[in-house]
Amino acid sequence: MARPRKVFYRRRKVCKFCADKIDYVDFKDVKLLQQFIPERSKILPRRISGTCARHQRLLQQAIKRARHLALIPFTTD
Amino acid sequence: MRTYELVFVVDPRVSDEDVVAMTQEYKQMITAGGSQISKEESWGRRKLAYPIAKLNEGKYVLICIESEGGKSSLPEVEHRMRQNDKILRYLTVRTDEDLKRAASRHPKTAGRAGESPAGLGGPGAPGSPGSPGSDMAAGPSPAAGEV
Repeated sequence: MARPRKVFYRRRKVCKFCADKIDYVDFKDVKLLQQFIPERSKILPRRISGTCARHQRLLQQAIKRARHLALIPFTTD
Repeated sequence: MRTYELVFVVDPRVSDEDVVAMTQEYKQMITAGGSQISKEESWGRRKLAYPIAKLNEGKYVLICIESEGGKSSLPEVEHRMRQNDKILRYLTVRTDEDLKRAASRHPKTAGRAGESPAGLGGPGAPGSPGSPGSDMAAGPSPAAGEV
C-alpha cells in the first residue's frame, strides 16, 4: 500500500493475419511464413506471436506444407 | 469446381529443357483427364532449406489446375511423380474450399477495418458496431492480464 505499485503496460498482441486481413495462408509465401519460424525453425507459438486460433491453425498447415517442399527448414543446427 | 495446386521439385542436374518437357508431359496427363491448367509457373533453381538426396538445390515448378466434376487424373500424375526419381518432392493441395472459406469471411469484416489497430483501448470499444462480423472479434486472447 505504501509503495506505489509499478504498473506494467503490456502491449496487446494482435493477430497479424487478422490485422492484415489474410484469410488464406499460402504455403508458397515463404516471406510471410518466415516471420513465424524463429532461429530453431520451430513454429512460433501463438502465446508469443499473438496469432488467433483460427489463423494459427492455417499457418501451421501452411508451414508444414512448405517444409515438405523444402521451402523452409524443419530444423537448423 | 475444384482447384488444385501442384508443386514439384526436380533434380537440379536435369536441364531446363528436360524440366519443360516433363511439365509438358504432366500437363498433358492432366488435360487428358478432363481438367484445365489455369496457371503454370517455373520458379527456377532455388536453394533447398535442407538437403534432399544429398542435393542442395532444386528446380521448382507450380501448376494450378481447375477440375470440373469429380474425376481427374491427379492420382495417376502423382503416381508417375513418385516413380520418377528426378522428382525430389511433389505436393498437391486442393485449394478451392479454403479459398471459398476465406472469401466468405472477408466481406463481413470489412466494416470494422479501421478500429482494429487502435483497439487497445480496453473492453469499452465493441459496443457500437454490433456487426455480423463481431463474433470473431472475440478470437484473439481474451483474458490478457491487466496487472
